[in-house]
Amino acid sequence: MSGADASGNHPRSDARGEAVPAGGAPAQSPQAADTPAEVTPAGGALPQGALAEGAAAAQPLLRTAARELAEIGVAIQEASVHATAALTDGAVLGALPYAPAEGYRAQRALLRAVTDRRGLGYAVAGGRLGALAARLGGMAGAESLAVLVLATSLRLRITAVALDHPELVDDPLLGRLIGAVGADRDIESVRALRALLRDRGAVRTLSELAPVFGEVLALRALLDENPLNDTAAWLIATGKGYASADPIIGLSNRAVAVLDTGEGGARRLEPTPAEAARLSSKGSLLDFLRNLGALGTTGRVLIQSVAGPDGVVRHVVQAPGMRSGRPDNDSPQDLLGAFSSAVLDSGPYSRALIKAVDDFGIPPGGEIALIGHSAGGAAIMNLAQDPEFCARYTVTHAVAVGSPVDFKKPADPRTWIASVTNQHDIIPTLDGQGAGGCFDLHPGWYVVDYFDPTHLFPICHSIEHYTANLADDLPEARDRIDRQLTPYRGPVTRSQVYLLSDRDPHPEGFPFLTVPTYPAATSRGTLELPVRCQDGSALTAYFAADPGVAATLLEGTGLGPAVQVAGRALVAVHAFWNRRTSLGGYREVHLGIVVHDPWRARPFRVWPDLVRRADRRRSGSFLVDSVVDTDTVSAVAPEIWGCEPSVAPLDVAVTARSARIVAGGPDDRLLTFRGPLGPGIPAGAWDLVGYSHREGATLRSCVETRGRGRAHPAPRARLTVGQAAHPMARHLRELGLDGARPLLCLSAVAHQTLRAAGAPVRTT
Amino acid sequence: MPAVPQAITAHAKVLRSDARVLAECAERLREIGARLDGGGVAPEWLRETVNAHIAACTAASADLAEAATRLHVYADRTRR
Repeated sequence: MSGADASGNHPRSDARGEAVPAGGAPAQSPQAADTPAEVTPAGGALPQGALAEGAAAAQPLLRTAARELAEIGVAIQEASVHATAALTDGAVLGALPYAPAEGYRAQRALLRAVTDRRGLGYAVAGGRLGALAARLGGMAGAESLAVLVLATSLRLRITAVALDHPELVDDPLLGRLIGAVGADRDIESVRALRALLRDRGAVRTLSELAPVFGEVLALRALLDENPLNDTAAWLIATGKGYASADPIIGLSNRAVAVLDTGEGGARRLEPTPAEAARLSSKGSLLDFLRNLGALGTTGRVLIQSVAGPDGVVRHVVQAPGMRSGRPDNDSPQDLLGAFSSAVLDSGPYSRALIKAVDDFGIPPGGEIALIGHSAGGAAIMNLAQDPEFCARYTVTHAVAVGSPVDFKKPADPRTWIASVTNQHDIIPTLDGQGAGGCFDLHPGWYVVDYFDPTHLFPICHSIEHYTANLADDLPEARDRIDRQLTPYRGPVTRSQVYLLSDRDPHPEGFPFLTVPTYPAATSRGTLELPVRCQDGSALTAYFAADPGVAATLLEGTGLGPAVQVAGRALVAVHAFWNRRTSLGGYREVHLGIVVHDPWRARPFRVWPDLVRRADRRRSGSFLVDSVVDTDTVSAVAPEIWGCEPSVAPLDVAVTARSARIVAGGPDDRLLTFRGPLGPGIPAGAWDLVGYSHREGATLRSCVETRGRGRAHPAPRARLTVGQAAHPMARHLRELGLDGARPLLCLSAVAHQTLRAAGAPVRTT
Repeated sequence: MPAVPQAITAHAKVLRSDARVLAECAERLREIGARLDGGGVAPEWLRETVNAHIAACTAASADLAEAATRLHVYADRTRR
């Protein structure tokens, strides 16, 4: 669109036609409606400003010549296939006994036609025999005329791109590499690439080669001795389809893409307050792109409803690019997902998007605009080309930014499509077509193919960079897309973020927390029991305490004696941070005296019993004192579990290496347990059996736990007891635990718990 | 047996047509070279390359025509 501008950038866009959007919502811009489609070859728009007049005229000439050469190459290849078919036809060979001399001469002429170096070259092609012979010939370095003509076409494409990017030929290292590849000088190519990588590093090398990346790879693949990458090179050179394999070693793209499995899942998610504040409250191209930036590559997408200028509410699906991290994780936005979205017509990403759209509640026939960046652009184009999706909803617009979408075809021809690509961004070229493209692959699309001084990938691929380019350097392109998006330009009436997954996620807590529930009447209303904690952490610290004080505390409970260690009473501090439970989030700290089976004390058999599952355990902790940090739990706990916790500020932080438990405020501190936990032995998280005594009755409560835990046999953390008058602090002091170091700690950084109501046990 | 001469003749006709296509390709290549030369945009290496392609297309056209002729003769002979 423009050449060198005030910003110093050199954007160039290539408008290749417009269609009236589907859904009867034509753009309001008379200019868009009146301006006839500018149908020019890909990458062949008339450049302005920065290019010299001669160069401006040269580009279309070179690209047209490249396209014609590709057509000639295809025609030559077809002739080769025909000649090979005649040579290998069983009928032709079978008739030899009837006319041996004539048959021999005919076979000799055919063989000559497909092997004549001065003619078709080594041109055996087509059919099983032909394909096998072609591969063998390829491995021997024998080339056909068709391949040589296609190579010339690719070299012309590179020449055309070099008019916009003179560094490709002026730079000695780049020029050396491209020249060696074009001349099929293998050793020199490798040396040139090594020199380039040594001088610039991989990132800069890729960035600088990006405008001709597809052409260089295809050229190399056509001329090298590897037969596996020939088909991919052929597809790139002729523009007949998505490169079916990587053009370097020939690894099948589909073979890689099918590793990305899953029916796709979408779960509603609330953005953080900071993210919500960044989401735009109105609709425009830049607003949608900024939303993508606000979402980041976090596995999430955004759907917004926008009230258009005509009062009609329409919907905008906004899909960001690839999520960083492992190549294959639970998100469909992982590397494999990005790959499958680009290569296949449907993948987990697009299937998850469909589920999000269905969940959003768009009425049948509702109008939708799709906006995607990078892998998100390929995914939204998969939606646009899904006939079932397009039958349910009206996809009026699809805008793909920095995405490999050249071979996507919308199901509804009225869908208006825009593709925005930076020529130094390597991602859009992964389908084999980049700045050097010479084929008019989609005459109805609006294509903005530009470049700016930021040559470095991946910076030039980021959504922020594209947004900045469209905001500052590509005003015409931005305005044109915005004019088309006029029906979506208005106040946002609803926003919903979705977290996508490869598969529908299990219900939270499944299967451990999938249990029958029942209502329980309490002073705070009816609660659902058992209390289920989806996410929590816990620490139990065991101490050796004064046995006399412990015995005193157990008096009248029917429990006891306390479990003893070397003549001392075993006492535990239990701390939980229940982050998400059916009672809400809360923390709790208990002081417990570890007691035997209420009916039969077994001094030696108590130790294995203490690590049994709760449902089989007889021993437990008599909860002397309890503290929680919410009024609700404090109110219902006596009615459900029999303990009578007080309310105090609590801090419970447990990691695999250390713990920090603080009960009480700064002025009335009950206890502080802080420090390293020492080496940990992995084990399952431990259940807790708690006994409580209230109004003459003893209740046994179980905390069943699932998750990973650790046993720390040599903890270095210490317990400090505060001076508060609270019974917990007083009891800890009396037990002699101020400044004590625990004998053993059990930690669980992330676990799930189930707590049923306490069951009365008759202990006296 | 009658199907065999017909199959051979069919191949011969296709190859005869391909020989014409290759001749046309040579002509198109000549036009492309001239157009780029005339526009002053032909890279240095292009003329030699295009000339080589033209010569190859011409030779390939002749090879295919020869093969088509031989196949016709072969088909005629098998008919007798």
